[in-house]
Amino acid sequence: MLVAIGAAVAVFTGVGAGIGIGIATGKAAESIARQPEAAGQINKALLLGCALAEATAIYGFVVSLALMFMQ
Amino acid sequence: MDVIKQRMTEELTGVKKLALGPLVVPESVVVTWGIMILLVGLSILLTRRLREEKPGKAQLVLEWFVSFINGFAQESLGEHGKLFAPYLGTIGLYIACANLSGLVGVTPPTKDLNVTAALSLMSMFLIYGSSFYFKGLKGGLHKFVEPMPLLLPINLMEVAIRPLSLCMRLFGNVLGSFVIMELIKILAPLIIPIPFSLYFDVFDGMIQTIVFVFLTTLFVAETIE
Repeated sequence: MLVAIGAAVAVFTGVGAGIGIGIATGKAAESIARQPEAAGQINKALLLGCALAEATAIYGFVVSLALMFMQ
Repeated sequence: MDVIKQRMTEELTGVKKLALGPLVVPESVVVTWGIMILLVGLSILLTRRLREEKPGKAQLVLEWFVSFINGFAQESLGEHGKLFAPYLGTIGLYIACANLSGLVGVTPPTKDLNVTAALSLMSMFLIYGSSFYFKGLKGGLHKFVEPMPLLLPINLMEVAIRPLSLCMRLFGNVLGSFVIMELIKILAPLIIPIPFSLYFDVFDGMIQTIVFVFLTTLFVAETIE
């Protein structure tokens, strides 16, 4: 039972990643609307930022899987 | 619920081993051999009849791909791009094939932590090797105390954290999509998994390939600038 709660808490890291990626994508859309010719550069920066932000969610996910199934 | 839990535990804890005569090898190695045969065979087949005039369709696709990799390397690494383009192209092709291999029914090799650890260690040696190669011993060591000596411990920690995050990112993404696909297949085995498979296997696999190659390039560009 406690293990399940621990796994749920670990997977909560997804909240941060979701908020972060949401803000980043919103800003990217805004800046592409303002400067469509820089879309390539903006996309590159967005991809990098999303990859880094997403990593925290992945860590939480891996930890929760480890808690649930790898005892 | 118990069935699901048992299957997940099986998938997550045991690295599947296949017996080939006296040899016992992990499944990821066997799938990697398959990918190697595919890529080497395609390379030999596609580069056999290259012509300067009136190129065939296959040659046009090949040229587009090679110039795309070269352009990407040159754009991010500047004059040294030519040196790194073959490595980046190779590793991109391998990860793309590995992530897509779930489509033909085998377990993707990148679901094995050992494979992604090896890939990220290769990236680490590339990053710090190129730093020492281009800057010399003194310049390479000096990179650790930039922008100021106070940051030395953080720069040293980065040596371990960069490959760790590369490794866990690829592994976690592939494992995550694999687990979700397995759950969907248990709940609804017919037709419904198809759109999910398109997203999790194809789209996510491609994104992770791009991210891995892109991050490696970025780290290299940062050390040799």
